[in-house]
Amino acid sequence: MAGRVSLLMDTTSAAAAQISLTEKAGAIQSADPRRVLADRVEQLYSQLPLGIAATLIVSAIATVELRAGRFVEVVLFWAGLVVLLTLARIALYWGYRKSVNKFDEAAQWLRWLAISALANGATWGFAGAVFFPSHADEQQVFLAFLLSGMVAGGVPMYAVSWPIYALYAASIAFPFTYVLATFGNRLFAELAVLVPAYLAVNVGIAYRLNQVFDSGYRLRHAYGKLTDDYTALNQRLEQQLVELEEARRQVEASGRKLALFAERSPIAVFEFDPEGRVLNMNPAAETLFGFSSREMIGRPGTDTLFPSDAADESRERWRSLIQSREPVFGLRLTNTRRDSAEIVCEWSLTPLVNPENRVISVIVQGRDITQQLEAERMKQEFTSTLSHELRTPLTSIIGSLQLINSGVLGDVDKDVLELTSIAERNGQRLLDLINDILDVEKIESGKLTLFPEALELGELIAESLILNRGFADRFKVRLATVGDLPAVNVNADRKRLLQVMTNLLSNAAKFSPEGAAVEVTIETTDGNVRVGVSDSGPGIPESFRSRIFGRFAQADMSHARPKGGTGLGLAICKRLLEMMGGKIGYSDRQGGGTTFWFELPRHS
Amino acid sequence: MPAQPLNRICYVEDDEDIQRIVRISLEKVGKMTVEVISDPLLAIERIAAFKPELVMLDWMMPGMDGPTLFRKMRETPEVRDLPVVFITAKASPRELDELRTLGAVGTISKPFSPKDLPGQLRAIWSSLP
Repeated sequence: MAGRVSLLMDTTSAAAAQISLTEKAGAIQSADPRRVLADRVEQLYSQLPLGIAATLIVSAIATVELRAGRFVEVVLFWAGLVVLLTLARIALYWGYRKSVNKFDEAAQWLRWLAISALANGATWGFAGAVFFPSHADEQQVFLAFLLSGMVAGGVPMYAVSWPIYALYAASIAFPFTYVLATFGNRLFAELAVLVPAYLAVNVGIAYRLNQVFDSGYRLRHAYGKLTDDYTALNQRLEQQLVELEEARRQVEASGRKLALFAERSPIAVFEFDPEGRVLNMNPAAETLFGFSSREMIGRPGTDTLFPSDAADESRERWRSLIQSREPVFGLRLTNTRRDSAEIVCEWSLTPLVNPENRVISVIVQGRDITQQLEAERMKQEFTSTLSHELRTPLTSIIGSLQLINSGVLGDVDKDVLELTSIAERNGQRLLDLINDILDVEKIESGKLTLFPEALELGELIAESLILNRGFADRFKVRLATVGDLPAVNVNADRKRLLQVMTNLLSNAAKFSPEGAAVEVTIETTDGNVRVGVSDSGPGIPESFRSRIFGRFAQADMSHARPKGGTGLGLAICKRLLEMMGGKIGYSDRQGGGTTFWFELPRHS
Repeated sequence: MPAQPLNRICYVEDDEDIQRIVRISLEKVGKMTVEVISDPLLAIERIAAFKPELVMLDWMMPGMDGPTLFRKMRETPEVRDLPVVFITAKASPRELDELRTLGAVGTISKPFSPKDLPGQLRAIWSSLP
């Protein structure tokens, strides 16, 4: 089983590998652009404090350097402007950090940052445009360095979004370029040409950096997604592993249980391979034949199983079993034990088939039924002997009493006649009981043979009424048919169907009040014919209904006169009718009484 | 149907009680002449001497059972053509069928009703060709 589990795991991980391969191809494309944007905005804002600090430091130095001269008010105004803008940028940074919805509002935050970058750049552009012409050469050089430094320093600050950088740098460079171009100095005019070129180069670099950042973020997200997928896959695999482990434990547990069952079972259990060799056997199997498992495992078991057959025949039987893959039950075979004793065994052979519909092995279970068969035979012999030994004296008893009671031997004293009549009736009852017990025995042992023939049902019913008239007279009950009996044929055993009718009629007569009539009806339906026997008796007690067709079934009628009967009649009727393809039942009659009915298929 | 009514009957039976009942039944109820034979080994000789119109055989008897006696009768010219009826307490339908194919004209099951026995025999008698 462990091997099988690991095999399953291998297949699962192979499947996982396949999934990851197909997913990797579209990974970069599949990175969510909104997430990439949000990451870029985050990057820009994370650098904002550094930018603010740099602006403050540089502007402070600039203020100190440029303060000397005639334009101290303008310089202070500019410094104030820088401070105000710095406060606004701090507010912007603060606002971004506090925002709860950075992801969805990323585009908006980007716009605000662009405005702030533009404003920041504009303050430096203002500085260049205003302070360059108004100051002496030294400060002009300082200013030129300062401005180019600011333009260059903006690249790492804003390169994540090149358009923002372009705005920022242009707002510094363009006013300065204008001042240089209009200064009236040839050197400055040449610089005015170089500054835009410098600006263009820087924007170009920013654009390139922007692309690099962009694909960096895309990769990061693609990788993140892959990692998530892997994590999910790993979790799934882990879950499957846990389930497999649990399944393995369960299989192991039920395997142990099964092994224990086989070990302790009184039934012999063999496992044969498809070629008929013994793979395994339990202790009961060792006991059955007297061969130890060491002696039998690996050897052909079919010769032991089918010993009475020729070797070819036993091989053929085995081959047909393997081919059909159908289990065989109740196979009775005469087997030979190690000590040459012959035993009769009952076998069931169950081929185990794998999903590819190939037979892996065959479970062969068997038990020794020799003693059981012997017991059955003895029981039958006993019943048969009993039947003869009981009937012979009863023949004499009933016969003698009948002759006395019939009056052929002359008149008998009235009291004597009464007693001999009682004796005859009870002798008859004893005989009925013996006959019923024999019938039950025959039915149960499958020895009862029916001789079905095409019968005209109406005639048979009429005959049964005549046969039972004498019995009904004793209870002062009339037997009568209701309406015309339709001409309908059934395929049934004449003697046994008469037995059924006798049972139903005598039951009905016994339970009818004096002077009542037992009514017999025949109804035909499409394929069946139904015979009803109705009495006007007390009905069937509720407690008795469930076992009315059982053996030795008699309702507890302690308040009523004893009726006689064996309690086997209805059970026999039910079985006989079933053997003839029919059925029996009963229903309550309106106004009291019961109708017993039976149905038989019509014979065309 | 034979021309004359059934009158002379031989009955081979080992049980004395049943012998007596059958004798009373056939003589008193049926007004027939009855010869009862206890020993099946002597039966053929006695039957031949009595010259009955019909023979009744018990199935189970010590010494020789009814069917064997019946086959022996079929081999003996004097009694070969006599109609034979079996009285039996146990017989499977297959065995009864076999007896009919051998030529038994009827079977009466034990216990029989002595009141009805003469009637049953006369019914069988009247069904003969």
